[in-house]
Amino acid sequence: MMEEKISLLREEVVAKMNDVKTASDVENIRVEYLGKKGLVIEILKNLKNVEADKRKEVGEKANVLRVEIEKMIETKKEELKELEYENSIKNSEKIDITIPVEDKVGSLHPITIVQRELEEIFTGMGFTVEDGNEVETEYNNFEAVNVPKYHPARDMQDTFWLENGELLKTQTSAAQNKIMLKYGAPLKAIFPGRCFRNEALDASHENTFFQMEGMMIDKDVSISNLIYFMKTLLSEIFKKDVEVRLRPGYFPFVEPGFELDIKCPYCDGKGCKVCKGGSWIELCPCGMIHPNVLKMGGIDPEEYSGFAFGLGLSRLAMMKYNINDLRALNSCDVRVLKQMNIK
Amino acid sequence: MYISINWIKDFVDLDGIDVEKLIYKFTMSTAEVEGITKYGQDINNVIVAQILSVDEVENSKKLHKLMVDTGKEKLQVICGAPNVKVGAKVAFAQVGSIVGGQQIGQATLAGQISNGMCLSEKELGISEDHSGIIILDDDAKLGEDIKNIIPVDDIIYEVDNKSLTNRPDLWGHYGIAREIAAITGRKLKPLDVENLELYKDLEQLSVGVEVEDDENPLCLRYSALRVENVTKKVASWKMKVRLFYCGMRSINLLADMTNYIMLELGQPMHAFDQEIVGSINVKTLKEDAEFTTLDKQTRKLDKGTLMICKEDEPVAIAGVMGGYDSEITENTTKLLLESANFDAVAIRKTASKIDLRTDAAARYEKTLDPELTELAIARFIKVLKDEDKDIKVTSAFTDVYVKRYPHITIHIDKDYIDRSIGKVLTMDEVTTTLKNLEYDIAVDGKNITIEVPTFRATKDVSQKADIIEEIARIHGYDNIEPKTNLWKVAPVQKDPVRELEYATKELLASKYCMNEVHSYVWYNTELNTELGIKVKDNLKIVNGIVRLDNTLRREMAPTMLYAVNKNLKYMPECRVFEVGRTFEYNFDGKNAKENKVLGLAVSSTKQTEKELVYDVKSMIDSIIKINKNVDVKYTNIETVENNWMHPVNSFAVIVNDETLGYISVVHPKVRDAINPKAAIVVAELDIDTLGEMPKHDIMYKEISKYQTVNFDLSLIVDKDTKYAEIEEIVKKADMEYLMEYSLVDIYQDEEKLAGKKTVTVRFTIGSYTDTLTKEQIDAQREKVLTTLKDGGMYINE
Repeated sequence: MMEEKISLLREEVVAKMNDVKTASDVENIRVEYLGKKGLVIEILKNLKNVEADKRKEVGEKANVLRVEIEKMIETKKEELKELEYENSIKNSEKIDITIPVEDKVGSLHPITIVQRELEEIFTGMGFTVEDGNEVETEYNNFEAVNVPKYHPARDMQDTFWLENGELLKTQTSAAQNKIMLKYGAPLKAIFPGRCFRNEALDASHENTFFQMEGMMIDKDVSISNLIYFMKTLLSEIFKKDVEVRLRPGYFPFVEPGFELDIKCPYCDGKGCKVCKGGSWIELCPCGMIHPNVLKMGGIDPEEYSGFAFGLGLSRLAMMKYNINDLRALNSCDVRVLKQMNIK
Repeated sequence: MYISINWIKDFVDLDGIDVEKLIYKFTMSTAEVEGITKYGQDINNVIVAQILSVDEVENSKKLHKLMVDTGKEKLQVICGAPNVKVGAKVAFAQVGSIVGGQQIGQATLAGQISNGMCLSEKELGISEDHSGIIILDDDAKLGEDIKNIIPVDDIIYEVDNKSLTNRPDLWGHYGIAREIAAITGRKLKPLDVENLELYKDLEQLSVGVEVEDDENPLCLRYSALRVENVTKKVASWKMKVRLFYCGMRSINLLADMTNYIMLELGQPMHAFDQEIVGSINVKTLKEDAEFTTLDKQTRKLDKGTLMICKEDEPVAIAGVMGGYDSEITENTTKLLLESANFDAVAIRKTASKIDLRTDAAARYEKTLDPELTELAIARFIKVLKDEDKDIKVTSAFTDVYVKRYPHITIHIDKDYIDRSIGKVLTMDEVTTTLKNLEYDIAVDGKNITIEVPTFRATKDVSQKADIIEEIARIHGYDNIEPKTNLWKVAPVQKDPVRELEYATKELLASKYCMNEVHSYVWYNTELNTELGIKVKDNLKIVNGIVRLDNTLRREMAPTMLYAVNKNLKYMPECRVFEVGRTFEYNFDGKNAKENKVLGLAVSSTKQTEKELVYDVKSMIDSIIKINKNVDVKYTNIETVENNWMHPVNSFAVIVNDETLGYISVVHPKVRDAINPKAAIVVAELDIDTLGEMPKHDIMYKEISKYQTVNFDLSLIVDKDTKYAEIEEIVKKADMEYLMEYSLVDIYQDEEKLAGKKTVTVRFTIGSYTDTLTKEQIDAQREKVLTTLKDGGMYINE
């Protein structure tokens, strides 16, 4: 009698499970069979009414059925959950990844980017980075770098003179004397900065531009060392092995003075827009520091020698970003500068 | 400066040398070459011909019908030149010849056939003269190639003047030839000169030189000579063509002669008409004066300007330009020749003062060798005799030599040379180079004693470093192998200001969407007016090209506002910054103080001023907290100093009790001038001072293991009560279990609570040693409420 009932209940549950649609249907089944007053639970509760010899068997069977139903409920629940995920995925909104998003990054000035890159190269080579002033004394800008008053070399640099007799520095060399007096020899320093020339603006002339100058002073520093150093440095800057050549150049604070040209790194000397077809680019004035300049900086030229070099930061930035008008750098035009990003 | 290879060949044998390669070597060893021009390549097969007859051409007033004899044939030629005449020998371009790169063909002019053309100097490319055809000497041979008579073929290269700044010896062809001799290793031929000794018994000229300062005389040497019986008026083709190719205009024989010698030796010369100037007095102007130079310009001269005078009457500005009244003319047959040396600084001052940078002045300012004056006169006479054999020298060489430069001897040893160059050269190479450059040397073992020639000793070569340059450049820098040195490696000290500068820039650009700009360090007067920005007076540029914009910036804000003004025209929002220099000047003649300052401006047509102020506050907070780990205090600025700042919403940025800058809403007047719809906020921060402040160590704070409790208090306070005032009271309450507190919300409803606002603050209460009891927590709450009530703040029940 009871065994039959149990097996009927099983069939009933299996049939109902098949019709289940929602989680609440499952819950209803659970309550109906396994709830406090559930049909299976009732059997277990009423075992005492079963004949003694069958009690054990009925008990076991009812228990088996209970476990089976629990399992069925569990499995059904999982099935339903799975189905729910499938539906939610199927019905989820399709995101259009091609829609533009708000630009949340600003930009650094191209000079800052190039300057920082160079400073990292130099500090890696053991150079101190120094800051010069923008308003300088005539002595520091000219006399201390071997350009006395009325020297024709002053023609090369149209100067902004200030009412107190000072000037806006025309060259980063204006910092040479102070740095030599501050550190003495041996010395390895670079000093980037803003320079000013009193000239009319056009695509290749600015009255405000950036240079970076470096000095290296030690015992027995030779021309050969200078060439080696400049070649290493420029290869680092252009991230490839560059070919350099030196030719005589006149700068009053060096002797000998050189113009350093590099084989155009953009076309390997084949001729391009950057080198204007000339294959060599005049890049960097340099030379062995003039004994007078060393002396004025408190360094004995008999004991020490050194070299100095200048790099046009504005020029390098223009080369790097293919900017063809120098005026863009000081334009404050965000449409131009925003293209630079921050690295 | 233009250099003629033909001219160089007068002094150095260049046979078998590739001229282009030589010019490249010149660039690599001496000075920058800016360009090469090959003359005469576009002229071919132009010959000498003679005009046999000149006839009118019907229906033409200008044209003539000529019969021309080339020696081989007689040809009809139609010619428009006014100076055609029977018997004249002309430069004739026959059919098939090349002129100016174009082939000449048979042409029909005014219905007449023309078999070729007679050329003007311009057509031959030897001058700008196109007024008539070239008339050759009568002895020219018919059919001869014109290039045998006029030296049309030449290679001219231009040397960058700047790279000759320190080389007075290279301002003439002979000096360049000396370099080329050293570069090629060939011999420099001695100059062919007149022996002036021949005239020593003739009359001395009257030359007086006033010397005010024996140490620094303005005239170092004045040499003169009188020449008479000059009958030729026009210089030879060789001289005319060389002058033209080197950038000068041929005028007449004597003027051309002075230019020719200047281009050859670098020594400027002047020829006075002897009939007008018979004696010389060199002296300074005692009063300001006007003087008409030979270009017919009347110029104002300052007293103290050195003049060449006839007695007391100025006839030339020394070293710059002669006077109009004493100029030699076509009719001059007697001349007084000047070859002098003047102080470089004085000439440079005068030339810049009157803005007359003549070829002479450009040479004098390089500090010429006074020895040159005599050589130049001797050479002048030699060349003039070649041009006009009948001239007569009628005075002795008259010479007032005021100051000689000291003779320079340099001692150097071979090891020093090798060490400085970084390569071991042979002694032979060193001595050969120096000898070729005309140094006198004596070698004793490794020691070399070098006597510097006078033409290098005025300032260019004075010490060992100069000798190193001579040897290294002639050796060729390309031939020096790059080598490293054993430099000591030491850790690099980082500059805290620079570190802060970069960190600030990167933070603003990467986190706050700010764009870095570079502005100018002076104010823009026009924009200040347009935007209504008033700036304090400051240090000024006295010689700027744009006279208005001469005041250096004392503040960053105006230049940032210029940037906003510019960009808001293109975009609804502009966020810019710059780390730049500002200058403080107190008009005391002393040096200006320079500061590195961050200036920034944010502006938007979508956001409110309040939102922008908090945005900027977050930037300043981040910069300072990240880099220095200190708290920033902000206070209202009572009285604003600048008219672009908002009188109410301007805030001082204070760190460690020091004011480092400000944040300010832009004054509505200035804002309206930029864009009335935009909210604009500016800020400045002193990077120098902040950079030097120490960075506070970060101390780890333990997290309590015990449970903490939060409770919120909504305080009703006056509308203008600052959050800082609430914080003050919380601090005063001195709650022992207060872990932290924070602002949750500020709510204002004018209708419900006029003049008030509700500020909700969340308190977190807890202990590091226990879980707090309800009584303990309530006691904390009670404590803060009481203190708040004492301070006039009530909670919203």
